[in-house]
Amino acid sequence: MTGATAAGSATGPAGPEIRSDIPPVEVDGVSVRFGAINALSDVSFTVQPGAIHAIIGPNGAGKSTMFNVLSGVYKAAEGQVRFGEHRLDQMRPYKIAGIGVARAFQNIALSGTQSVAENLMLGRHHLTKAGFLAAGLRLPKATREGKIHGARIAEIAEFLDLGEKLHTPVGVLSYGDQKRVEVARALCTEPRLLLLDEPVAGMNAEETDRMAAAILEIRSALGISVVLVEHDMGMVMSLADRVTVLDFGRLIADGTPAQVQSDPEVIRAYLGSGDEADPAEAAEHHAAEHHAAEHHAAEHHAAEHHAAEHHAAEHDQTAEAGRRPAADPRSSDSSGATS
Amino acid sequence: MTQFLSLLLNGISLGALYALIALGFVIIFKASEVVSFTHGSLLLLGAYSIARLSDSIGFLPAVLVGILITAAAAIVIERLIINRLRGAAVISLAIVTIGVDIILLTELIRRLGSDILNVPHPWGGESFRIGSVGLSQNRLIAFLVAAVLIAAFFLAFKYSSWGIAMRASAEDGETAALMGIRQGRVSALAWVVAGVLAAVAALFLVGSPTPGVTPTAYAVALRAFPAAILGGLDSTGGALVGGLLIGIAEAMAAGYQDQLLFLGRGFSAVVPFIVMIIVLMFRPSGLFGTKELTRV
Amino acid sequence: MSEATVTAPAGASRAGGSAPAPARSRRSWLKPLLLVALLVVLLALPLYVEEFWLRTGFAVFGAIVGAIGLNLLVGNSGQLSLAHAFFLAVGAVSYTYISGEEGGLGVAELGGLGLPPIVGMIVGVLLAGLAGLIFSPLAARLRGIYLGVASLALVFIGIHVLNSWTEVTGGFNGRAAPNFELFGFAFANRDPELYVLGVPFREAERLWYLGLVLALAAYLFARNLLRGRPGRALQTQRDSEVAASVMGVNVQGYKARIFLVSSMYAGLAGVMYALSIGSIAPESFGLELSILYLAMIVLGGLGSVNGAVLGAIFVSALPLVFQRYADLIPFVGDRGSGGLAAGEAARFLFGAAIVVVILFEPAGLAGIARRITGRFRRPGGSVTQRPPESHGPTSEPTPSDPPAQGSTT
Repeated sequence: MTGATAAGSATGPAGPEIRSDIPPVEVDGVSVRFGAINALSDVSFTVQPGAIHAIIGPNGAGKSTMFNVLSGVYKAAEGQVRFGEHRLDQMRPYKIAGIGVARAFQNIALSGTQSVAENLMLGRHHLTKAGFLAAGLRLPKATREGKIHGARIAEIAEFLDLGEKLHTPVGVLSYGDQKRVEVARALCTEPRLLLLDEPVAGMNAEETDRMAAAILEIRSALGISVVLVEHDMGMVMSLADRVTVLDFGRLIADGTPAQVQSDPEVIRAYLGSGDEADPAEAAEHHAAEHHAAEHHAAEHHAAEHHAAEHHAAEHDQTAEAGRRPAADPRSSDSSGATS
Repeated sequence: MTQFLSLLLNGISLGALYALIALGFVIIFKASEVVSFTHGSLLLLGAYSIARLSDSIGFLPAVLVGILITAAAAIVIERLIINRLRGAAVISLAIVTIGVDIILLTELIRRLGSDILNVPHPWGGESFRIGSVGLSQNRLIAFLVAAVLIAAFFLAFKYSSWGIAMRASAEDGETAALMGIRQGRVSALAWVVAGVLAAVAALFLVGSPTPGVTPTAYAVALRAFPAAILGGLDSTGGALVGGLLIGIAEAMAAGYQDQLLFLGRGFSAVVPFIVMIIVLMFRPSGLFGTKELTRV
Repeated sequence: MSEATVTAPAGASRAGGSAPAPARSRRSWLKPLLLVALLVVLLALPLYVEEFWLRTGFAVFGAIVGAIGLNLLVGNSGQLSLAHAFFLAVGAVSYTYISGEEGGLGVAELGGLGLPPIVGMIVGVLLAGLAGLIFSPLAARLRGIYLGVASLALVFIGIHVLNSWTEVTGGFNGRAAPNFELFGFAFANRDPELYVLGVPFREAERLWYLGLVLALAAYLFARNLLRGRPGRALQTQRDSEVAASVMGVNVQGYKARIFLVSSMYAGLAGVMYALSIGSIAPESFGLELSILYLAMIVLGGLGSVNGAVLGAIFVSALPLVFQRYADLIPFVGDRGSGGLAAGEAARFLFGAAIVVVILFEPAGLAGIARRITGRFRRPGGSVTQRPPESHGPTSEPTPSDPPAQGSTT
């Protein structure tokens, strides 16, 4: 950890009123291993209450692994993750949701056959109670519950420009809309900590701006903490109060956007040393071949690719890898302009 | 003790046949992500063809043609149906093979009618004995043939270009495709091999000590399912171990059925399934199957 | 799973995804009217229709209950089960034993508790549910296809028990199932003798109404369930277990509960099966029955309650209809006359239909029906707004193409 905490809080959550019931997230010495691969090694950082905290890093740096640890999908081999009095590293995912940690997935994980409203209603799952019997028999309490929460859902949908599409099946929505439904669904859980996994990946410039504005507004209106994994450097640098940089599963920098941007190690990780355009990518390819030969493809995938079960994810990766070397220098330019 | 040894031998020979069938399941699964419920009727098709043809063209030619027919049926299924469904959900794929199975099985049972067809094995129904430990000659030959086939299979799987291609596409289909491996061909070949293995198993399964070609041969193929599953659906070595385990367990239960009478008559037929359930309780992906990691 | 409907390419996000709100209001009176008409027809049918059709109808009602139950499990929660026949058997045997009389014909000594049939029915349903609950922890741990094969075990173990536990099941020969009775009113030919509008209401007529009520209840419960909180959780869990659990759904718990519900449906279907045939026998509950139920939900449309109903009608009525009209249908006839036996013809048809449905119309009969009504309701191209029907458990709406990255750089 770099000793920049003071500077971080100075520029930190300015303005918005932070809710009193929002504790910090303390990631303390977390390591995750898949077979022989260290997806995360001894990573520590703290998300201050009410902060917008970005986690960045090249492909395969362990960002999504970190998210999977925060939401309980992966178990840490070592270390602790504390959220107030709760130990996230020891809880099952659905319990974590129950204490107000919500996550929007990078590779949209919505139910395509269900409508936007139904998908959003799922966000209310832990806030509602109707069980099999109550729902099956349409007991009055189940119907009442549906009505009350339906109103709140409409509100959240409206906030993310989804109001008109409330009854449209998610599967027929555009990609950008689906991304917004992801975020809306996470919001519907009334979170205290919101995890956004590349919320603007694949969006066009206009949509990206709108999403950035929405995230700022979420924080200022709700006063909750937001942790963000994002590739769009412009967005990260303009939004985040604090940035954690991972590379090869290690934490290489942690500080304000300005501090991180001038950190030599970060620059090296992103721009590569000398003629090698992208060391991370090259290393990843090397590792891929090596491990495929050793029949460790499964672990390799989980560790290196923050990919979903589907092929689309793989496409995503390749596309992203192709984009990054060009995108990064430029986006750090733009972030320089915005900050 | 002699009874035990004799049962063990019987179990191993039966298990070798189960392993042949189970290997078929496994390679089909590895190559095309399909759990083939068509296998029972393919096996019956092999047995039926051999039995029907051997009257007119003699035993050996009948065996060859029977194997060819079964392999041909397998590849037709793969080309016409499975190949068109590449990338579909695993459950849909399994269900489509159930559909094919219904058609094929209905036709075969209709043709079999109520008579029992016999395969005129030249080695007849005699037993082979060492001291007081006995094994039917049919099962002995079955064991030898199965051992040779399984060894050949593992060599081919390890060294042939097909084997390498298959393992590569099972590891990571997309990458394999990018490397120029034609998944269609890999999958087609897997079905052919599975068909051949099933037909060979059929040849021996309908011989002594079982009485001829009856729809029960289908039930036998179903007992190879537990073999494949408990070994791990994506593990060829698992299929071998699973087959032997199931074979031995079944033979033991049949041999000691007087002692097991409190469990009901014919208990040995359910033993493979009970063994499977017990294994799955402790190892949900089978003994040697790879666990699936959740990826998000 | 039509890829085109899943997502528009990202670049075209705004323009591509403007889905009009469904035009619900215009014909909203038509649907309830049709439903009421259908109900009236179903209620009046026993007055006009001969016994064969009423008996077929009761069998179909039973199949509907069972198919809805299996569809909840396979279609909505993504757990492939071939064990449905086993749970039907648990329901049927429990009913027969609990409400049957002691006695022995020839060699077999039969036990029986002689309790009122309604008790037998309820306990049968509960025991089937219990059996499902016992199996569910294992089921929840197994990956989809492993579960499919593991569930085979239950069928074979079930058959073995049916054959062996003679005192309860009647063994190889099976045993007669007691008539249903509710508060002294027997669903049989007499007790009391009954005429409605001059038509004698005998066993077939009475069972028709029983079946109608039970099937309707099963239908409504499933519809409500799926539209409510548990349904949303189940379907999300089917599409992505990780997403569901991160959103707060206890996936293991839900899988177990839906297994319980599904096997209770199967148990009720089993009781109705016993009532429909009048007896139970081991061979009725083999793998073939499981496969028939699977055929019903696949043909009807995985994940759709209406689909399960349509599929059940199609699959369970077809062989009976073939049998009755064997001489009118080409290729179908007696074995002797060179044609196909009715049962064989029906099986060929199911097999082919399963293959065709999976290849060409994964949404099944329900999908076809929806398309027809969609066209009827909104002429024009609005059919394309139909949601992509679920196609098994992995129908996550992953973008079919990588997002157009160029748009962000």
